Amino acid sequence: MLVSNLFLITAALYATSCSLFLVHLARGTARLARWAVRLLCAATAAHLGFASLELYVSGLNPVADIHSSLALLSLLIVCAFLLALLRYRITVLGAFLTPLTLLFFLGAGLDRSVTEVPANVRSALLPVHIGVNILGVVAFALAAASATAYVLQERMLRQKRLGGLFERLPSLDVLDSLGFRLVLTGFPLLTVGLITGTIWVVQSESINLNATQGFAVMAWLMFAAVLLLRIAVGWRGRRAAIGTILGFLCAMLVLAGYLLRSGGL
Amino acid sequence: MVELFVVGLSHQTAPLEVRERLSIGADRLSWELERVRKVTAVREAMLISTCNRVELYATAENLYSAAEHARSYLAERAQGLFTEEMLYLKRGKEAIRHAFRVAASLDSMVVGEPQILGQFKEAFDAAEATGSIGVLLDRCITRAFSVAKKIRTETSIAAGSVNVSSIACDLARKIFGDLRGRRALLLGAGDMGEAAAKSLASTGAHLTIINRSSEKARSLAVSCGGEPKGYEQLASELVNADVVITSTSSSQHVITADLMNDVSRARRHRRLFLIDIAVPRDIDPKVSEMESVFLYDVDDLQQLAAENLAARKQAAEKAEAMVLSEVDLFEEWRQSLALTPTIVALRNQFQYVVQAELERTLPKLPELSHKQRNALHKMCEAMVNKLLHSPLTRLKDSGAHRDGARLVHATQELFELRGETGLTSSPETEVTSEESPALTTAKSGESS
Repeated sequence: MLVSNLFLITAALYATSCSLFLVHLARGTARLARWAVRLLCAATAAHLGFASLELYVSGLNPVADIHSSLALLSLLIVCAFLLALLRYRITVLGAFLTPLTLLFFLGAGLDRSVTEVPANVRSALLPVHIGVNILGVVAFALAAASATAYVLQERMLRQKRLGGLFERLPSLDVLDSLGFRLVLTGFPLLTVGLITGTIWVVQSESINLNATQGFAVMAWLMFAAVLLLRIAVGWRGRRAAIGTILGFLCAMLVLAGYLLRSGGL
Repeated sequence: MVELFVVGLSHQTAPLEVRERLSIGADRLSWELERVRKVTAVREAMLISTCNRVELYATAENLYSAAEHARSYLAERAQGLFTEEMLYLKRGKEAIRHAFRVAASLDSMVVGEPQILGQFKEAFDAAEATGSIGVLLDRCITRAFSVAKKIRTETSIAAGSVNVSSIACDLARKIFGDLRGRRALLLGAGDMGEAAAKSLASTGAHLTIINRSSEKARSLAVSCGGEPKGYEQLASELVNADVVITSTSSSQHVITADLMNDVSRARRHRRLFLIDIAVPRDIDPKVSEMESVFLYDVDDLQQLAAENLAARKQAAEKAEAMVLSEVDLFEEWRQSLALTPTIVALRNQFQYVVQAELERTLPKLPELSHKQRNALHKMCEAMVNKLLHSPLTRLKDSGAHRDGARLVHATQELFELRGETGLTSSPETEVTSEESPALTTAKSGESS
């Protein structure tokens, strides 16, 4: 009972914070932004309470299956964003991140049936595989949010239509270098995730390669290209931002693939 | 009754030559304030002097004599240049509205300019230091601060710059963030280009100046604090620059698409902000299609300036409405402090109790004669008067002091007079969480 109440409270806090961020993005009221951040902190605290209670009550391993991983993912994204807020003035990015968090959190909660991981799939590598991928996706989610803001801001600068939204976005330079650093952080994690995933697929011979793995490889290639072209040729700005967004979409397709597959894995 | 008023003149009523004669330096503000208080016989006073206005905010029992004295004080300082029409006198609600509008920069020459709030604060500090701030002015001015802050955060009154140089700087900041250490290049020596380059240099950007005549480049470099370079170094400087301002008198494009193609390759896609202030234009418009290059010409910048002004005008309308509702709240508070209604209410309450008790007791004493009844009535009335004598005297005397309001409040609270003075809301209900610490202190002071 307490667990489900806490789940609802957390979801409501996330939803309210998310709508405040969106209104702030559209209308630019500074007070709304402050409340959105406060509510997000409250949501994070509620989420932490919910997660620890769940761990205590049902002994759910947060990196055991895709649903608990999603919940952990949303929590980590919010934590990373709140930490980044201490250093960068990027409050407005909350409008891009909180909908994602809410989606993950609800996605994790809607199907709470714990599915036993099939014996032939169980492996010591699995927690490592899920763990590094989650951290990687956290970095990419933040990178994609900042890339989206970059693309929007760049378009406004080019079209010379500098409306209210323009006032609130951080400078192109901040968005670009933040995006680059985040991709640089997420890439090694994704690489380890891909390697452990491959080993695991090879170990449990019953699993066939499918679209999900294809998207994982595509995401990896996309981020590799973003980094390589930036370092070697100096590609940055819009192209790098679009690459980052595409890479993140591929990573999301991988997650969706896992979610849609029956059995939760 | 003590009334708040403002006497003064501003850019809307008086020309600069009058305003500059009247203006008072920050160092002499306290001294002048002492003088004003002596000649005008006001209770509370605050003098504010900015490039837009010279005003005296004050409270007085006899408004017209105080205002007349203030007027002759200003006339004397203006030394003959002064005419009656330049001066305005606003009282009561109008004066409060004026204070709120001035603090919120709605009455400034450039609506939304940020300096006025600081100047208002300085004037208030000076007045407070000379002990000429009492309960009314204290509340009025601190309220003006929070109204101004509220308007700044809740409307876009301060959004956007209104001159081309600062728009160029704002745009550069939007692209590069902090401009310290960035490289700006000024090409040519037009006036507008020079102004824009100066404001860029003042943000901490490193400025390089290239001109066909190296003589002119050198003299400009001295006045703007930049580094002169020869015209032949244009391509290499373009490679290094982050922001380029062009304002040459050349009739052809100085920065052609071909030149930019070469430069762009060497720049490895680093972002470049080009500002072309020259007419005819110095930069080939095709350049704007290139990746990582942002090109703004003089029309773009002026268009933005016009848009910003329009946006401020719109915001100002919203701000005016906010000021009006705040003035109403203030007026409500001020009336709640009125001494007379409180005294009347207190007396009424006592008399009501006595009357009720008499009406209850007398029927039980039918043996009393008419004379005896009258004596009883008189005795009760005398008791009420004696009991109320010292509290009422104390209340009447306190009216002039800063803690007078506290006493009135305390009386209203102790005897639950709020409904009887015709007041429905307490001043505390106006105080919201976003207010300044100063105001919160005032609030706790009132309720203690």
